[in-house]
Amino acid sequence: MTQLRSDLILTARGLRKTYGQFVALNDVNFDLRGGEKHALIGPNGAGKSTFISCVAGQLPGVEGAVLFRGRDIGSLRPHQLAHRGIGRTFQISRTFLQMTVLENMTAAYVIAADSWTSLRRRVLARQQDKAANMLRIIGLSQRAHERVLDLPLGERKRLEFGMALAGDPDLLLLDEPTAGMSIKERHHLMDFVAERIDATGKTLLFVEHDIDVVLKIASRVTVMVRGGILVEGTPAEIAANKEVQAVYLGEAH
Amino acid sequence: MMARLARAEMPRLRQMLFVAGAVAALEAVNRLTGVSGSLLVAEIIIMMVFASSLNLLMSFGHMVSFGHAAYFGLGSYGFALAITRFDVPAEAALVFGPLLAGIGGLVFGALCVRLTEIYFAMLTLACAQITYTVLFQWYDFTGGDTGLTGFMTPRFGLSEANFASAAMVLALVCLYVLWRVVHSPLGLAIRSVGQDRYRAEALGLSPRRVQLVAFVISAFFAGVAGTLFAVFHGNAFPDYAGLGFTLDALIMVVLGGLNSFLGGVWGALVYTLLKNFVPLMTAHWELILGLILLAIVLVMPHGLAGGVKRLAGMLGWGALR
Repeated sequence: MTQLRSDLILTARGLRKTYGQFVALNDVNFDLRGGEKHALIGPNGAGKSTFISCVAGQLPGVEGAVLFRGRDIGSLRPHQLAHRGIGRTFQISRTFLQMTVLENMTAAYVIAADSWTSLRRRVLARQQDKAANMLRIIGLSQRAHERVLDLPLGERKRLEFGMALAGDPDLLLLDEPTAGMSIKERHHLMDFVAERIDATGKTLLFVEHDIDVVLKIASRVTVMVRGGILVEGTPAEIAANKEVQAVYLGEAH
Repeated sequence: MMARLARAEMPRLRQMLFVAGAVAALEAVNRLTGVSGSLLVAEIIIMMVFASSLNLLMSFGHMVSFGHAAYFGLGSYGFALAITRFDVPAEAALVFGPLLAGIGGLVFGALCVRLTEIYFAMLTLACAQITYTVLFQWYDFTGGDTGLTGFMTPRFGLSEANFASAAMVLALVCLYVLWRVVHSPLGLAIRSVGQDRYRAEALGLSPRRVQLVAFVISAFFAGVAGTLFAVFHGNAFPDYAGLGFTLDALIMVVLGGLNSFLGGVWGALVYTLLKNFVPLMTAHWELILGLILLAIVLVMPHGLAGGVKRLAGMLGWGALR
C-alpha cells in the first residue's frame, strides 16, 4: 500500500453547471489528496464527465471554484492547465490519427517542452528520443512507425495515456479510460495505469464504469448521483454501502 | 548503427536526385522551347510557390482557405505600391510584397482562427473580398480597377528565360523553407492542431496561436508568389486578389493531392499546363478542363502526388514523398 500524502492537490467548492433546465452538477464539493487513485463512479448522467471537464477547463459557464494546489484554476484554458501540471485523456480517445505512433508521442513531448515554435531538427530529435523511451515504457515500440488509425482501440488508449504522461503532470484525469474495451483489455490497461501512477507518485482521478476495475485499482472512490456526491470512501466502504448498492444495482445494471 | 544511418540517408539522396532532375527538366524546357516556353515555365514556378503556401494550411493544418488570393494580391500590391507611392527602388521593394502579405495574414488570420472548419473558410472568403474591394475601389492609392502599371520594366528587363531561371532559384528556396517548417517541431504542432485540436490543447498547445503562425507563414509565401507575379508582368491588378486566383490555388492543391508536401507542386504543374494548352485545342475549354479534373480526382483520390507515390511504390522507388 502506497503512503498517502496528506496535502490536497485538488479542491472543488460549490461547483454548479446547468444545461438549460438540466442541472448537471449541483453544488459539488470535492477534495483530492496527492497520491490518491481516486475513482468517480455513478450511473449515466450523474455528472462524472461534466465534473472532469470542469476541472480540465473545457466547460464555459461553471459556477463555483476549482483550486489546484491552492490556486484558482477556474479561468484557465485547457492548454494553460496542461502546463500547470494537469494531464488528461478523453472519453472517446483523442490522438492524432493520421500520424504515426512515434509522431504522436513526439508531438506530446514537443508541446510539453513548449518548444513547438522551433524550426530546428535537433530540437525535434531530442524530443523524439524521449518519445521513443516513453513508447518503450508503454510497450508500443513495435508500433512506432504505424499510423494510429491502424491501431486497435486498446493500444490507442494506451498511447493516449502515454501522451498525457509526457508533460510529467502531477494530476491525471482519465475520463472512462476503458470504455469500449473487453474485460481483459480493461484490466490490462488499468493495471498498467495503476503501476505507472504508483511508480511516479502522481495523482489519478478517473471515471470508470467497471466496478471490478474500480475496486481493484482505486484507493478512494466517490459515488455521484444526479449531479451531486452521494458518498465517498475506501473501495471496501463503498462496496459495503447499502445506498450505493441500491443506486448501482438499481440503475446501472 | 551504420545500417541505420545508411537507411536514413538513402531517401534523402533520392529526394535530392529527384529535385535535381525536376530542376534540370524545367530548365531544359525553359532553354529549349523559346520565349513562349520560358513564359510558361515562369508561370508554373510562381504557381508552385502559391499553391504550396496554401498546401501548408490545407494539408498540414487542415485549414481550408477560400480566400488565399488575398495574400497573393497583397504581395503584388505591396511590391507595386512601395515603388509607385513610396518611391522605394524596385529591387528593395521586393521585400515589401511578402511583408504586406504577412501583415495581412496576421490581421485577417487573428480574426479567422477564432472560428473553425466551414466558418473559418467563410471568414477567409470575407477577408479576401474585403481586400479585393479595397484594391478595386481605392482609386487614389491603389489605382482602382485600372491597377498599377508602367512602374517598372517587366522582369527587371531580364530575358524570359533568365527570369524563369531566377524564379526557379527563389522557388526552390521557398519550397525548402516550407519543407523545413513541415518537418520541424513547428510543423508537428501545426499537424497536431489540424488533426485534433482538443488533444493538442490538452497537451498544452493554444490551437489559435499555432493556427495563426501557420496562417502568417502561408500568407507570407503567397505574398512571395504574388510579388514574383507582379515582377513577371510588371503590373498589379485587383484580380490578383480575386476569386479566380483563390479558386486556381484551391484546385491546384486538391488536384495535386492533399496530405502531401508536393501536392501544390504537382497541382501547379498540371493545372497551369492544362489552363494554357486546353484552350488552344477547343473553344469549350472550360468544359474539357472540368472533365479532365473530374477524371483525375476520380482515378486518383489522393491527387497527383498520391498517384506519383503509388507509381513510385510499384517501381520500388519509395522516396517521392
